Amino acid sequence: MPELVIEDLTVRSTATEPPILSRVSLTVRPGEFVALVGGSGSGKTMTAKSVLQLLPEPLRIESGSIRLGPLDVTNAPETELNRIRGGRLGMLFQQPKRMFNPNKTIRKHLKEPLKLHAGLAGKPADTKVLELLVEVGFEDPEWGAQAYPHQLSGGMAQRAMTAMALAGQPEILLADEPTSALDKVLESQILELLDRERRHRGLGILYITHNLASVAAFADRVLVMDAGKIVESGTTEAVLGSPKTAYTRKLLDASNLLPTSITDVTPQGRSVLTLTNVVKHFGPGKRLGMGKRFGMGKRFGLGNADRPALNSVSLALKQGEILGVLGQSGSGKSTLARAIVGLEGISGGSITRTLAAGEISPPTAVQLVFQEPHDSFDPRMTLRASLEAPLRRHAGLSPAERSQRLQDAMKEVELDPCLLERRPGQCSGGQLQRVTIARALLLEPEVLICDEATSALDALTQRTILDLLQRLHRDRGLSLMIITHDMDVVRHMCQRVAVLFQGRLVELTDTHKFFAEPQHEHSRDLVSAAIPCRGLHLKKMRAAS
Amino acid sequence: MITFLAKRTATLVAAVLLSSFAVFLIPYVTPGDPVRKIIRSRVAGDVVDDSTVQALGQSLGLHDPLPVQYFRWLGAFFSGDMGLSHISRTPVVDQVMPALGITLSLVIVALGIAVIVSLPLGIVAGLKQGGKADKLITTITQSFIAMPEYWLAPLLVLVFALKLSLLPSAGWNTTSSIVLPAVTLALRPISFFTSAVRSGMIDALEAEHIQAARARGLSHVQTIMRHVIPNGLVPLSTLFAVWFAGLLGGSVIVEVVFAIPGMGRLLYDAVVNSDIPLAQGGVVVVVALAVAITTLADFLHRILSPKVSGALA
Repeated sequence: MPELVIEDLTVRSTATEPPILSRVSLTVRPGEFVALVGGSGSGKTMTAKSVLQLLPEPLRIESGSIRLGPLDVTNAPETELNRIRGGRLGMLFQQPKRMFNPNKTIRKHLKEPLKLHAGLAGKPADTKVLELLVEVGFEDPEWGAQAYPHQLSGGMAQRAMTAMALAGQPEILLADEPTSALDKVLESQILELLDRERRHRGLGILYITHNLASVAAFADRVLVMDAGKIVESGTTEAVLGSPKTAYTRKLLDASNLLPTSITDVTPQGRSVLTLTNVVKHFGPGKRLGMGKRFGMGKRFGLGNADRPALNSVSLALKQGEILGVLGQSGSGKSTLARAIVGLEGISGGSITRTLAAGEISPPTAVQLVFQEPHDSFDPRMTLRASLEAPLRRHAGLSPAERSQRLQDAMKEVELDPCLLERRPGQCSGGQLQRVTIARALLLEPEVLICDEATSALDALTQRTILDLLQRLHRDRGLSLMIITHDMDVVRHMCQRVAVLFQGRLVELTDTHKFFAEPQHEHSRDLVSAAIPCRGLHLKKMRAAS
Repeated sequence: MITFLAKRTATLVAAVLLSSFAVFLIPYVTPGDPVRKIIRSRVAGDVVDDSTVQALGQSLGLHDPLPVQYFRWLGAFFSGDMGLSHISRTPVVDQVMPALGITLSLVIVALGIAVIVSLPLGIVAGLKQGGKADKLITTITQSFIAMPEYWLAPLLVLVFALKLSLLPSAGWNTTSSIVLPAVTLALRPISFFTSAVRSGMIDALEAEHIQAARARGLSHVQTIMRHVIPNGLVPLSTLFAVWFAGLLGGSVIVEVVFAIPGMGRLLYDAVVNSDIPLAQGGVVVVVALAVAITTLADFLHRILSPKVSGALA
């Protein structure tokens, strides 16, 4: 099996601009798991796209070489490139669901590389599709094959994407943040899958990520990239164990969310938010009814028609508490958040907000911070217009007072108020997530519900947002409910942990107790799937066993 | 999908019921005695004396409650009894059906031309966005919007019928009669279809799954044939249906200018002559057909774009 060798690769758009990649060199040998890490915009993805010769316009390879065995990829003719793309060089993408043609079934997708690279068509190809789906962990391959991409969960879509890459019998797999959109349990499942293929097929893997915990667990070697340059490289133990550059230390620090002093405090005092036996049904008769009746629930991704999204959930958020709510995708976390702020009606039970004097607080006392910052603003409105809307509605302030309130809120989240004149498209994800928090603070809430508020962000940005939330908690006495699938965030931020599983609250306990002895079976799964960053020895242990 | 099917069929029925009820009310809300108007659409001879009117009104059930009358009228209507025209004194159905046939063939040919022309133009313009071909195609097809039929039709007649004597100037006698009206009718859909195909192509080209297709080894051309063009054409199915439905009753100007005895012409005459039964027959048939076509297009859209059905089912 050949190796992938990149030497002195420099990529830039125009001669006057600084290079996107600058003299990048790396090697991936057969059977090797190589990690390429760095913050967003560091050039990791462009490295992968250079290898496939699929750089977006107007980027060009200025100098350097990419070789796959004896083949010079940089000078290969287009027909040769089409043979190696998806053939000898497989690729996985960050947002698997967006990487499928929404109008074609998984079977049609898988048959493309089979035809192009293995010469299989018709019946034999159909058989091979099912084999591949089984290999990547589809329990019902027949269903998976006839499904359309939108019917798959994120984890299933990434498995299907892996099957598609494997269909071309690759020698090298370029995995561009294949798990950053997935929760921890799915992440480790996908990485286990890749690692298994590495062992069975001698697949060389270039794993691009900003998640150092998974690197520690799986990679043989690590390359750290910053601003288009490789700043550090070596074995995983060497780079993560004794980092030489400040940038690597910063990355490590950002992903190393250790318990803080906050998390030792057991919250006392009155409850600001009390949920009693909250039940939420979607359907039947509304959304799921027909599907269920005709036995099509599963096919249309509307399974679990008879299971409520929230089933008799009772919990109380204490004043000044940071409560973590954990659960896998589909466990009812987001429904809970939406129900609490009233975006979703509940089918049973009650949700009460209580003020200091015991009276019921106004609805605006509980605010929600949304998951995808870019999706939670109107792209055509300036941020000022978006943020002013709730003030107009609720606060009854003069225009000058409103403007002042906006300025203050922006300063509170450490942003320049001149950002207010921009539109969402002109801001980075981290900036926008701060604006979402500023928006939530405008109406002076007592409780902030953060629904996966940092999961779309890279580790460095996530860290700054978490620090901001901790400061707001300290200075304003805010109570926080942090909904996440990220165990590290919980360990770093929360005093108590609630675990949702299939719509039920299965565990509610202090954070340190939770990590020490998780009670419920699902909690144990969550805790063991959270790959601790300190576990640098993990890879070695697995190699020995 | 089945939920959707049921819902859409219910909507279809509701739309037809609602519009036909409005049409049914025409004799009651227009000036004059509704009973006499209705008798005139039901009885061949002229009735003048009040006692006969009274007796006929009684036997035709014109004093029953309105809903009862409505459903009786609707039942007769869909079994082919649309009453007698006030003007020609012949059954309305004998005028509506031939007119419908003529208009259908005119609209089908016109939209056929529009699709055949706008598909390649839109695809080329979308693939070469911002290039010379795109600018040329977009400018020319957009200019069609600014050419009203009452201006274009005489112009075409002037050139192709009177100057060049290639095609008949009016009427509906030979196969070649269809050419000029169909072309006139096709121009505006051409510009809308072309721009829809163009933007559909641009969206499809920018979709993230296109780079994934390249990454699994499809060539640029293969990617365009398999993933860009089919996806880019999906929006056209809805637009096509909207135009089809719209032109059924909206071809008035062309039919009047070219003296074509189609639906537009029929409705125009019915209104000008206050021929209530004829107008009722024409409107209900056109509405029913239009609703049926848009419903069909919705089904088609769901088949072409399964994500839509998943999201709304």
